[in-house]
Amino acid sequence: VSEPERNKDKRLDEKCMDEMTLLLYVERQLDRETAQGVSLHTQTCTRCLNLLRALDRESRLLTRSMLEQDEPLPARLAEFQARVKRNMQWIWGVIFGLAVLGVYALYSTYIEPWQRQFEQAGFGGSNLLSLVVFQGAFWKGWQSMFTLLEALAVMVMIGFGLFAFRRYVRRGSAVAMLFASLGVLFTLMAPASATEFRKGDNITIAKGEVIKGDLFVTGEHVRIEGEVDGDVYAFAHQLDVSGHINGDLIGFSESERISGTIDGNLRTAANNVTITGSIDRSVLSWSQTLELDSNGKIGRSLTAGGQSLTIDGKVARDFLGFSETTTISGFIGGSFRGRGKSLSIASGAEIDGTTKFDGQQPPSVSSDAKLASPPEFTKVQHHAEERDAGYYIWRVIWTGAFLVFGLVLAGLMPKFSMETVESAGQLGASFGLGVLVFFGVFIGSLIACFTIVGLLVGLSSLMLWFVMLFAAEVVVGGIVGQWIMGRNDDFWQFFLRVIVGVIAVRVVTSIPFIGFWAGLAVAVWGMGAISLALYRRLQPSLAPNIPPAPMPPINSPLPPHTTVGGV
Amino acid sequence: MSAPGKTEPIELIARARTGDTQAWGDLYREYAPAIFRFCRRAMPTREDAEDATMEIFMKLRDKLVQYDTTRSFTAWLYKIAANHCWDMLRRKKARHDKDTDDIDDIALECPEPNQLEKLIEERTGEEVRKALDKLGMRARMALVMRYYSDMSYDEIADALGVRRQFVGVVLLRARHELRQALGESSVLAVGGAR
Repeated sequence: VSEPERNKDKRLDEKCMDEMTLLLYVERQLDRETAQGVSLHTQTCTRCLNLLRALDRESRLLTRSMLEQDEPLPARLAEFQARVKRNMQWIWGVIFGLAVLGVYALYSTYIEPWQRQFEQAGFGGSNLLSLVVFQGAFWKGWQSMFTLLEALAVMVMIGFGLFAFRRYVRRGSAVAMLFASLGVLFTLMAPASATEFRKGDNITIAKGEVIKGDLFVTGEHVRIEGEVDGDVYAFAHQLDVSGHINGDLIGFSESERISGTIDGNLRTAANNVTITGSIDRSVLSWSQTLELDSNGKIGRSLTAGGQSLTIDGKVARDFLGFSETTTISGFIGGSFRGRGKSLSIASGAEIDGTTKFDGQQPPSVSSDAKLASPPEFTKVQHHAEERDAGYYIWRVIWTGAFLVFGLVLAGLMPKFSMETVESAGQLGASFGLGVLVFFGVFIGSLIACFTIVGLLVGLSSLMLWFVMLFAAEVVVGGIVGQWIMGRNDDFWQFFLRVIVGVIAVRVVTSIPFIGFWAGLAVAVWGMGAISLALYRRLQPSLAPNIPPAPMPPINSPLPPHTTVGGV
Repeated sequence: MSAPGKTEPIELIARARTGDTQAWGDLYREYAPAIFRFCRRAMPTREDAEDATMEIFMKLRDKLVQYDTTRSFTAWLYKIAANHCWDMLRRKKARHDKDTDDIDDIALECPEPNQLEKLIEERTGEEVRKALDKLGMRARMALVMRYYSDMSYDEIADALGVRRQFVGVVLLRARHELRQALGESSVLAVGGAR
């Protein structure tokens, strides 16, 4: 090479592009101006041109090497598809089977016999809430009931666990961890929640006996004559409290008699409740009969539902009652709000707040009763069983309401709404999960309201459950609409399908006799679809906002992005 | 994997989305070899690649309803695969390789074009694949994402958790590591990281 040429190369070297810039040029990642500069430069600089070519060839070598099919698909992977299918079916089978078994067991063992008894006893106005709450009160074996609920809860948890960790099911260690976690959970729950647990036919906390901490007690006949320095959770055929409870009493029993003192709240579901003692805080009761004796005192409010409520004693604050008959002859420090067939305000009664009653008959008010204001009465019309024009008008109004609700949901969460409707297309999964959520969450929420889990959790779950229940029809309407009109992801087209589908569903659920069962199926199906979509949403996100890259023509000798412009 | 110019099996994907197990099986047979190959390049061992492939398809099954049908299915699938492999690698706590160090602190020596050309000419695909196995995980992952599945710089940045501006540096460093690994066998190191 001559001296002038060497000098020329040297001058060019001083201006040479760095490797990073050249690589970005090869990869087409430079802005237009810089890329033009590189292109011009490589027309005069041999070194950079050669490096550019080498980088380009290196890219091709990499792509070619990686795309070469050097290994066949392993047999394990070739068989994997069939195994996945089997695994999934097995898991769904377990979950669905457990759910159906649980629901059937609950229905055939408890609800159905009780329902018969209840009807024979002439207790009308039953609904699902009272069915669930009261059914145990008529039955003598609360202990077995508790055991069954525990078993069901554990089975459902295991079912959910298997479903959630199905990816790891093939790994024994993960399953072991799951069971170990459950074990730890139950072990930790016990000491944290109770210091005393008693079980037997006849349990007596004798006079003079003091229990420090919470007490869990189950038995045929439970008597608390002594003192409990904590909360009491009682499951019994007959429960008598003549002693002193420093905390709350949560009681489930056929007959419950409170003649002692409770410093906290009373929450109870029972057949008969009689209060002759003193409760410093509030009372929440679901019972066939509730009697607040003339000596009985409630320090705060009373919320009660049942067939017959008799208030002879003193309620310091408000009284909210839902009962066929309500009789008040005692003192209500706040307002009374009631709903039922009849209300009787007897001589000696005093209500310091307002008195409002919704019922079939006007309240009977004694002239000797002291009321802060005249009672307000609203007559409740008993709807005829047969379906008149009004029924269908209301169906139309409700259909409109569902559509507005659906529009709001779809507007707020368009993508999630579409995913939910998509999930509804998976019938097996939606129904399987739906049975669990429809029955499991509802019953679980009610249990939570009355147990250590707490009212807040229970009511929150119940509210979520109701929202899902109302949304279920819209979701099912969405998939039915897609079946009728075909799929379309455009928002308004999607909503048009929801409208068509909801109308179709409402028509089917309005048909006499089968309408109820169709409605039930829609609720289960829709709630399952929502749960399935929620579950999928809760899975780790995989960079959802990144726009996808075009697929390379993999058999091509060159990756498309490695073309070197100007070379 | 889809051959060049071959249209994506839209009908198959649509049926698989509705839970059609037959369609799902067909989809698996169509895409499993390519995804396994992707995992084989990205993961350190064959067993890891097999595990990753299975888990990616389990994930795919769950996420299929979220797939936006207006976009490329293959690119979407590769994105899932890349994210999953990188997550697996991170979970394995095996990121002790030097490429986790501050990448901008290390200067790279510009290679001689002729030496680089010679190195490329002399190496076979098998040698390149063996050299890839010697790379640090981030370097290998970056090369696989870019040159196997043609992911964009944005996608690579997101998957690796680095800024987009660093992707070029990561790729360049990866190439240098690869050249070093290729050169080790023939005492022909070109450039290389210091």
